[in-house]
Amino acid sequence: MNAPVQTVEARELALAGMGASRLRKEDARFIQGKGNYVDDIKMPGMLHMDIVRSPIAHGRIVKINKAAALAIPGVHAVLTADDLKPLKLHWMPTLAGDVAAVLADEKVHFQMQEVAIVIADDRYIAADAVEAVEVEYEELPVVMDPYAALQPGAPVIRDDLAGKTEGAHGKRDHHNHIFTWDAGDKSAADAAFAKAEVTVSQHMYYPRVHPCPLETCGCVASFDPVKGDLTTYITSQAPHIVRTVVSMLSGIPESKVRIVSPDIGGGFGNKVPIYPGYVCAIVSSIVLGRPVKWVEDRIENISSTGFARDYHMDGELAATADGKITGLRVNVIADHGAFDACADPTKFPAGMFHIVSGSYDIPAAHASVKGVYTNKAPGGVAYRCSFRVTEAVYLIERMVDVLAQKLGMDKAEIRAKNFVKKSQFPYTSAFGFEYDSGDYQTALDKVLKAVDYKGLRAEQKAKRADPNSPTLMGIGLVTFTEVVGAGPSKMCDILGVGMFDSCEIRIHPTGSAIARMGTITQGQGHQTTYAQIIATELGIPSEVIQVEEGDTSTAPYGLGTYGSRSTPVAGAAIALAARKIHAKARKIAAHMLEVNENDLDWEVDRFKVKGDDSKFKTMADVAWQAYHQPPDGLEPGLEAVHYYDPPNFTFPFGIYLCVVDIDRATGETKVRRFYALDDCGTRINPMIIDGQIHGGLTEGFAVAMGQQMPFDAQGNLLGNTLMDYFLPTFVETPHWETDHTVTPSPHHPLGAKGVAESPHVGSIPTFTSAVVDAFSHLGVTHLDMPHNAFRTWKALRKHGAAL
Amino acid sequence: MEVKLDKQYPLDVDATRAWALLTDLKAVASCMPGAEITEQLSDTSYKGAVKVKVGPAVAQFGGTVDVLEALAAERKMVLRGKGADKGGSSASMDLTAIITADPANPAHCVLNGQAAVIVNGKFAQFGGRMMVQVSDMLLAQFVENFRQTALTLPTATGAASTPSAAKVSAPVVAREINGLAIFWALVKSWLGGLFSKRG
Repeated sequence: MNAPVQTVEARELALAGMGASRLRKEDARFIQGKGNYVDDIKMPGMLHMDIVRSPIAHGRIVKINKAAALAIPGVHAVLTADDLKPLKLHWMPTLAGDVAAVLADEKVHFQMQEVAIVIADDRYIAADAVEAVEVEYEELPVVMDPYAALQPGAPVIRDDLAGKTEGAHGKRDHHNHIFTWDAGDKSAADAAFAKAEVTVSQHMYYPRVHPCPLETCGCVASFDPVKGDLTTYITSQAPHIVRTVVSMLSGIPESKVRIVSPDIGGGFGNKVPIYPGYVCAIVSSIVLGRPVKWVEDRIENISSTGFARDYHMDGELAATADGKITGLRVNVIADHGAFDACADPTKFPAGMFHIVSGSYDIPAAHASVKGVYTNKAPGGVAYRCSFRVTEAVYLIERMVDVLAQKLGMDKAEIRAKNFVKKSQFPYTSAFGFEYDSGDYQTALDKVLKAVDYKGLRAEQKAKRADPNSPTLMGIGLVTFTEVVGAGPSKMCDILGVGMFDSCEIRIHPTGSAIARMGTITQGQGHQTTYAQIIATELGIPSEVIQVEEGDTSTAPYGLGTYGSRSTPVAGAAIALAARKIHAKARKIAAHMLEVNENDLDWEVDRFKVKGDDSKFKTMADVAWQAYHQPPDGLEPGLEAVHYYDPPNFTFPFGIYLCVVDIDRATGETKVRRFYALDDCGTRINPMIIDGQIHGGLTEGFAVAMGQQMPFDAQGNLLGNTLMDYFLPTFVETPHWETDHTVTPSPHHPLGAKGVAESPHVGSIPTFTSAVVDAFSHLGVTHLDMPHNAFRTWKALRKHGAAL
Repeated sequence: MEVKLDKQYPLDVDATRAWALLTDLKAVASCMPGAEITEQLSDTSYKGAVKVKVGPAVAQFGGTVDVLEALAAERKMVLRGKGADKGGSSASMDLTAIITADPANPAHCVLNGQAAVIVNGKFAQFGGRMMVQVSDMLLAQFVENFRQTALTLPTATGAASTPSAAKVSAPVVAREINGLAIFWALVKSWLGGLFSKRG
């Protein structure tokens, strides 16, 4: 070969592999409006479904009159729970071991619950027919407060569970009680408190919020009555699990069920659960033998699909007088709504909440979470976070601030004093997590230096001394650790399926490749980053590597994308599948170069004979040989599948600092500076990481500063449109500064930890820390979110700081 | 969504005529913009309807009104109304209305109303934060209608009071709730409030 000699660096650059800020391959189609979302799918003979929903939060259904709706031309069917009963499809299992009504069976449990469906020729007729379905209700007393729900005489929300004292997660001691889950060592924690020199406690409410992805949920179900197979295009973050559930519910063999997640317009946990709308569309298609499309509107999305958080938390810390934390106790009342439809791993009804000891070396800790039914929509999904990690990080970061305030210590100083030290990794927490790696102090020092922390504190002091200062200045600091990459199948499963993930790679004869994955991108840029991993592992340019996901008929089984598991789990599967190919390729290259395998070195994109740079075979050469004339004893072809069952979770961390100025006249909070340092281990595409961090910080800003789902005492949701529900645009969004350190995970094949959720998890307590810090000289230890202008203005008035 | 109202409206009508009107539920209902009694079910129970028009959309509430108490001696009336529309909203109201005579002027009285209104569904979700203002508007229209109707009733001496009779002949207040009109009135009252504060 007389190809021009290229330097190693030039060849590496040409691959655009790991570490390259490669432009997103997905964007070409998205920015041209050529994405293919569920609502873009049109099929011949397709009908449209719309849903009749309950206007009240709790009541009995006295009568449903379909006549007027059925009389509208173009209406094909109106179905209620009674119609689904013979198929045993009026109830369905949830991912949390509970059941949920597909269509309200005799009773409605929350406002906007699905009561009946209408199938019509088009979306408009369906909507008109929904208005024509007359439902008569007998109203029942409503329970919106989980504490009230646990009172002895509280109204019974779930009549269907009457007499059931055993739930999916142990004993139930009240008709509205779902589970009580404990972690840690209670007696050790109690002992630490008994002999503590200092203790602090704080109640805080993490409000109910909604992930509110730009694309709402929906599906197109198409049952072929001749072949007996079912294809469903669906907005799902976990298409394979949907296939398994659909097969179990419908009785159609899993081999005849094809679930396709096409382009997904954001998920953030909202698209993990299986919703009644999907089930109804599938049933309708089976009954009518025609494709049926259902796409919910924004109000339906916010009102009825998976919410997040709604944790009422009590935290306590025990410490020595000089600020060393000796014990942690946490009690949570978790409002799960009317059905327990969290999407946590089966054995973890409060998810990974026991990461609540945070980045700190706390010798004794105990946490207890009590799940409660109320007349609200079900959910409890992980909104851009690993399961319940956001709540846990919020609690511990708030508590450390509260302790610092009590002791008169600086926030940074108390954190440094209690950090798990670099030398302690792998570190086993009081809750039993084995943290893989971390270097918190180096990261903290970097941030404090970058923002001139001392200077900021001096400025704050000067402002406080000036009674005419128009603003209150606050400095928020958070040093968080996340637990992601669920998870080891010995601990984690969903409906009995272990939480592994998978990858299949095929190298084509001419040296390009395709990879198929068990995950599904919803904006994370998998098609870009996954190809980069293969490029580095196999020496093929990422440009010629196709990544396919979301079609259960072609992709290997995987548990999907949520809880930052794509890189920690699927990313590892890619690396290991690639390494299987690499091992075979080495054999072929040795055969071609007529040397022993051990005499070959791998260099960027080629195997070369040790000591002789002129004798080499590139991966492309090997690929051709694999299909043209493989060595004796080797199968032709060059492909591999790997199912990766992670040995442990990964523990990304970050140090976030925020400076706010609060207008003393209006309560408006201006984020002056936000500095985010993330350590996600090995970085695959720094540009995508930055994009993910920007997105996560913006969603964190939304939660902390404005998002809430306000209910009145009757169960009406008073903020279910985007007029009320805060989605920040670039007008409101602050400027973000990002930074990083790199502490690879020792147990991950690439050392990568996952990053997309850290900025959400870490930023929310940072905003609260900053806002509370602005009030701390007035004795304020905590203010609940959202920190919108009105609430902050009320706090200013209450504490005599308003102008 | 629950709204509690507690209102006093001084009227230039004597207590006897005001009470006479208050006990005639059909007449009272017709004073409420958009409302009417469609059927009497018993001595104390009525069927009624309220029509609300917001632009091209019309919502029609159908429901019942029950008289829970009617004490002539105290001129006190306790009502419970319940209704729903087909589009997914429902409302209920417990109302206590008392007519008190004005000791200084026998030709005048005060209409006292205490109400607890609960609204559910779309009305609460979309209209929730305007409930108090809208209720104030509707009540103001109601009271004006009530006053005018009461003035047409014969007094104890047998004649309708002449000075106001002329006004009554031309009904000035819309008998249908019109969303745009409400909106305009709200804007006017808000602007009024704004300027009076500054003044």
